[in-house]
Amino acid sequence: MPIKFTAGLGLILLAAAAHAAELHVVVKDHKGKGVADAVVVAVPADPRNAQRARLQLDAVDQVDKEFVPYVKPIFVGSTVRFPNSDHIRHQVYSFSPVKKFELPLYGGTDAPPVVFDKPGVVVLGCNIHDWMIGYIYVSETPFFAKTGPQGTASISELPPGEYTLRIWHPSMDRAEETTSRHVTVAAEAPTSAEWQVGLKQSIRVPRVSGAASPSYP
Amino acid sequence: MRCQVPRTFSRANRAWLPAFFATCALSHTAHADWTLASSAAISHDDNVGNARNDGNMAEDSFAAATLSLLQLLQLGEDYSLAAGGNLSGQVYDRLSGLNDASLEGALSLRKKWGLGAFAPWARAAISLGRADYADGYRSATIYRASFEVGKRFDDRLGLWANYGFERRRARPAEAELYGVSGDVFSQNGRSLKAGLEYLLTSRISLSLGSLWRRGDVISTTTADAYIYANSRAVAPDPTFGAQAYAYRLNGTTYGARLAAEYALSTHNLIGCAFQRFETHAMGGNDYGNSIPQLTWSYRF
Repeated sequence: MPIKFTAGLGLILLAAAAHAAELHVVVKDHKGKGVADAVVVAVPADPRNAQRARLQLDAVDQVDKEFVPYVKPIFVGSTVRFPNSDHIRHQVYSFSPVKKFELPLYGGTDAPPVVFDKPGVVVLGCNIHDWMIGYIYVSETPFFAKTGPQGTASISELPPGEYTLRIWHPSMDRAEETTSRHVTVAAEAPTSAEWQVGLKQSIRVPRVSGAASPSYP
Repeated sequence: MRCQVPRTFSRANRAWLPAFFATCALSHTAHADWTLASSAAISHDDNVGNARNDGNMAEDSFAAATLSLLQLLQLGEDYSLAAGGNLSGQVYDRLSGLNDASLEGALSLRKKWGLGAFAPWARAAISLGRADYADGYRSATIYRASFEVGKRFDDRLGLWANYGFERRRARPAEAELYGVSGDVFSQNGRSLKAGLEYLLTSRISLSLGSLWRRGDVISTTTADAYIYANSRAVAPDPTFGAQAYAYRLNGTTYGARLAAEYALSTHNLIGCAFQRFETHAMGGNDYGNSIPQLTWSYRF
């Protein structure tokens, strides 16, 4: 199977685009502000609609001691590379049950790619830089997208039909399952969906901390 | 705020600078993982000379800055070696003789039990430094060794404990009094510290640290027969006035530091802190210090 790398949605649909439909999504918080980095997935009621996706090679980079992007949605079975654009080495790992792995300490593009073969959320960390955290959302469907800074996202080339939509965000204050809703997507006009979600305060291990110990005068 | 540069700094540190730059040169080796950090603080000490009596207490404000350069060498999965140096200085508002510049080289070995931010760790460290004071006679070579353990329990809470030994070697002053050493500013001390850091919000953190220290302490007062009787060394200390004498005593210090910090960005931290020390020195020569601080830290 040919593998092609792009930084797009993580899939290339082989389905003919002639009858494809489009879904527009908006995710807002309780103040009406757009929520970035939310993943929206569209699970087709007819599983045959999801069988024509080609697996793709994705990437999560490390820039200025942070994972870039912070949230990366991929299709289940995809392979992800972890290039290191920093001038220092990183040691990427995950304890998540969906995919436990540990890359050896490396720089540049030396790390072997990782296959994510189960759907779910994978939390990434770096054993050297404790504050580094990132998320890979492994989608069971090839139809997904991630919201941009304005909280909007689009999924194109959807086969018309019935879908269950869900959203997920690292700081969402409720379970992903509770966001489910059913929609009928038609080829004639784009379908829209909007969510309003609460976000928990995001607490991360601090990158810099002051002198905690008393210094004897 | 007057700035008096320590007179002997450049001469005394001539030997240390090559070592410092040799450490820097290691960056050209493969996989050099560098960490550059800086910090600064403005503090006020209500008893700079560690005097017992109100009449002898001298208070002053001072600014301090530190630049740290550290190279991290990962030794396998569990161990890492850090080598680097600190360049720091302090400038006092009134007591300009206490202005100092110091250079320190440090080496530490860190062991982590497991992967991730919540794995417990231990670190053994040694350092060698030189502090040069404007008044000259305080200048000392400083040897330190410490052992530290820590664990982060979740994203909010981390605990640590540190046992350390410090030895300062200063050039002894001539004995002023028969039978009593003039080597006041050479000190030995060992300390036990413990503390916690707690993230209140994504930007605000609180930290609490405690200190127990036993060893030599220096108290500067006007000539005092009572403190003299308990001193291990005595020497004039003109930085605090023509009649001031520095006394080296054996003492135990209890201290605490409470700090709140605000993250301006992921690299940048400002904060305020309050330190309180109570020292019980030989012969009932007890004194205290209260030190409020404004702090800034930046890590590249």
